[in-house]
Formats: sequence, C-alpha cells, structure tokens
Amino acid sequence: MLYELRDIKRFYNDRCALSVDRLAIEGGKIYGLVGPNGSGKTTLLRILAFLDEPSEGQIIYKGSSVTSQKASLFRQEVTMLLQNARLLTRKVKDNVAYGLKLRRYDSKTVKTRVVEALEMVGLQPRDFLNRAWHELSGGEAQRVALAARLALRPNVLLLDEPTANVDKVSEALINQAVIKAKREWKTTIIMVSHDLGWLYSTADEILSLWGGRIVRQGPENIIPGPWEKLENGLYCKRLRDGQKIYLSGTPSQSGVVSISPSEILLAEYPERTSARNLLYGFIREMAYCNGSQIRVTLSIGEINLVALITDEAARELKLSPGMNIYVVFKATAAKWL
Amino acid sequence: MEYILSGIAEAFVLLLKGDEEVYSAVSATLRASTAAIIISLVIGLPLGFLLGYFDFPGRRFFRSVFDALLALPTVLVGLWVYAFISNRGPLGGMNLLFTLKGVIVGEVVLALPIVIALSAQSIEELDLSVRDTLLTLGSSGKRLLFDILWEARYGMLMAAITAYGRVISEVGAATMLGGNIKWRTRTITTAMAFETNKGQFAMGIALGMILLLIAFIVNSTLSYAKRRRQTR
Repeated sequence: MLYELRDIKRFYNDRCALSVDRLAIEGGKIYGLVGPNGSGKTTLLRILAFLDEPSEGQIIYKGSSVTSQKASLFRQEVTMLLQNARLLTRKVKDNVAYGLKLRRYDSKTVKTRVVEALEMVGLQPRDFLNRAWHELSGGEAQRVALAARLALRPNVLLLDEPTANVDKVSEALINQAVIKAKREWKTTIIMVSHDLGWLYSTADEILSLWGGRIVRQGPENIIPGPWEKLENGLYCKRLRDGQKIYLSGTPSQSGVVSISPSEILLAEYPERTSARNLLYGFIREMAYCNGSQIRVTLSIGEINLVALITDEAARELKLSPGMNIYVVFKATAAKWL
Repeated sequence: MEYILSGIAEAFVLLLKGDEEVYSAVSATLRASTAAIIISLVIGLPLGFLLGYFDFPGRRFFRSVFDALLALPTVLVGLWVYAFISNRGPLGGMNLLFTLKGVIVGEVVLALPIVIALSAQSIEELDLSVRDTLLTLGSSGKRLLFDILWEARYGMLMAAITAYGRVISEVGAATMLGGNIKWRTRTITTAMAFETNKGQFAMGIALGMILLLIAFIVNSTLSYAKRRRQTR
C-alpha cells in the first residue's frame, strides 16, 4: 500500500475542511477526486503532497509514518501540480531542470530529462528551451509546469485541476502526458479535474468527497437538500424547472442524498413505470468506464446525475450526447449521507 | 534669458574639459551614495525578508512604522543624525560630523526604511504559491529561503533603486552632516544649491545635467524591474 490515512482531520480556523477515517491508496493507479467546491479535494491533495500537515491523525507513506522531517524527504518523490501553477522567473529549461538539479543529477541526465519532459507535453525543445517565463501563453506555461514535475519521474503525481484554464490543445496534451507517466514509470496519479468525462474514463478509482468526507469510492450521484416532507412519508425536492424528485427514508442532518449510478435507468419514451421518479433531461457526456460499461452524465434541471449502463443498452437506445432522455429511479434508491 | 544660455554653454565646457571641482562633487556623491546603499541593502534586505515572510506578533506595527518612515523629511534626518554625531552627541567621539562618513550615516537612515518596506512588500506579494511551487519541486531548508529571495529579486531590485534615487537627490541631510566642504564633502546637490546662491550658474547647470543623467539611468532600471515583476 502506498498511502494509508487514519483518522485524518484538517481544520482551518475551527472549520473542519477534511475528515477522513480510513483511506488506502495503491501504487501505480490513477485516482480521480470528485466533489463540489469546498468539499476538501485540494486539502486532501495538499496533505498527500506533504505540503500541509493534518491537524489530527496519521499518514503512512510506503510503510512509514509521516513526520515533518520525513515530509521533505518524501517530497523528493511525490510532486504536485498546483491549481494556477506558477513558473519560476527563469527560462523554460531552468524551470524544468530546477527539481533535477536539486536532486543532484549530472548535467547530461538533466539535459536528457528536460528534453524528454518537454516533448512529453508537446513543446518542441528547440523552440521552448530558451524562452523566458513571460514569453509563454497560459496553456504553454501550464505544460512547462507539468514538464517540470514529469522530468522528476515522480513516484506520485498529484494534479489539482491541471486543465482548468488552458486551451483545448494543451488540455489534450496534458491528459496524454499524464497517462504516459503512469504507463512508463508506474507513477501513481491522484487528480482533481472539472472534466468528469475524462476523469471517469481514465481513473482506476474515483473518490467522491462531500463536506470534507470521502462519501464513497466509486461513481456517485449527490443531491443536496432542502427536502420537503410529504404526507405519504416521502421526501420531495423541487428542481428549478418544476420537476420533482421523490425519495424515501429519513434525511440526515446534512440533507444530502446519494443515488448509485446503477440504480438509474434510461428510457426513450415516458413509459408507465412502478418507479416513483420519472424525470426528463438530456445527455451531457458519455464515456467508457471499466471495459463494457458506459457512464452517461445526465442534466436534469440544475442537477447532474450519472447512470452506468452496458454498451449494448447504449447501442439499442442509440444514445448520444445532447439527446433528450427520460430518467427513471425508485424512491428507495436514496442513500442518505 | 541670455545668462541662462551662456550658463548652459559654459556648463558643457566644464563637463568636457573635465573640471576638477565638478568631478570632485560627482565622485563624492557616488562614493557616499554607493556606500550608503550597500550598507542599507546588507541590513535592510534580511530585515525586509523577515518582515515580509514570517508572521509574528507586532509585525503589522513594524510594517506601518517602516511605511511611515518612507516619507521622512531629509532635513529631519539631518537634524537627528547631527544630534547624535556632533561633539556633544553620544557618538561625538567618532568625529563623523562634516565628513563623508557622516553623510553616509544620514543617507543610510534615509535609505534603510525604503529598502525594508519595499522588500517586505515584494516578499508579501510573492504569496504562498511560490513557496508551494518550490516545495512541490523538492526544495527545502536554506535552499528554499534562498530561492524565495531569488524569485523576489526584481522587487528587491526595485527597493534598492528607489532607495538609491532618494539618496542621490537629497540635499538636506548632506548639507547638515557634510557641511558642503569643497573637495571633501561637497556633493552634487549641495554644490548645486551653494554655487547657484553664489551666482555660479554654469557649475550648477553642469552638475544638474549629471544628476539628470543619473536619475534617468536609475529610473530606466526601475521601470525594467517593475515590468519584470509584473509579467510571469
């Protein structure tokens, strides 16, 4: 096991930003972190990158407990690309070589690694090696920042929204480079991305965060409250477009519910159904996930739901992004968090 | 009008033929201001770094004190330092009054708050992302501090040049502490003030042109540092 987190809590001025009872992360895999803003994704990444210490709890990395002395040692093989990553005020080659020189690689290795890393992120070394930091576009700067991490051939690469503010070309190149790092050096990748389609299709595991907690390892549909109690004992949420969601059970204090993607069915026509919920929406994204399954992201009113269906079913229904579709699930599918 | 034109013409003659009096004042100015700025940087940059980087009780207070000292009137500095280094003052035994060293002391007092306040500000403006960036690339310890300083170098350069600009152009402290002694403590600005009073217009204009040239160099360097600091 690469990382083990036990009873980790991180507070910012009394506010608990992260609370993880148990988390195990295996080496050589790609992990995706999902969750709304403020759910603790960045806090978790920073702790895993040994940038921040948890306020409570224990982290074990490669079998040894992490102390502040060991943290700087572990940072030699664990690196993170921060959100809005910045470059050092130096030339591109000096940016990429910085970490290598710290690790005292000989100049020949430094040179080879710098060229290799720049090529990995699609920047022609000939054109970019001698550019100054201020002579790059936003997307190029982000790729140089990633190259500086890839050059280290890190054991763990943590990525916080690596493609949030970059052009389409840079986005594709960054995504390719990340997959290549995993394949070639067995780098463990843990990342946050707004591009859920890509995340779900690449990640071996998805961790869903909500209010600082890991609510589940696996795809997750999270619907926040408020819920209105009906006379028949069900709880109802009115979406902005007037559609209603009915769920059974007892809401927790947070009023947050999750519905397993496998509980959600798709229908071309509004058929009569015994399920309590029949909603109308459209397909936002489709992506392959775990071989023969397809992960369909649906927009219904202001919420997004994810359904997992077989590729055979997708073909029969002739599903495609942008298509309008009916979404069916039972009131008992609710898991109150 | 005519005497202004003939003053300018004479000034060129003084500059071109290498008038000793003119160049003695220039040399005194450069020696005093360079020494003052080096001392101020050696003391001020580390203090500015401490003030901008670490959070400690009283930090805000010190920051506002140094910010206020940015606008210190030069004659007031002259007065204070005079009080300390005159024969009756606590440092009277060092015989600094009316020497170039005395001028340097005054200029350090003027430059130091500028160096401290501006370098603290440039470290603050770097924000935590620079530190995080260096940490994620594996830096730590002394190396980390050094590299943070290096990332703030254009801000530091700005602090140094702003301080230099102030020191080289001030006249109050240099007059009071140096005494405008010919060949010894006469600087460009004190010479200009006194030569003009004596009706020696050409000398004043010649020195003025040199001061203008220095100010121009200082300001172009300053705007270069500003531009570099803003782009990333």
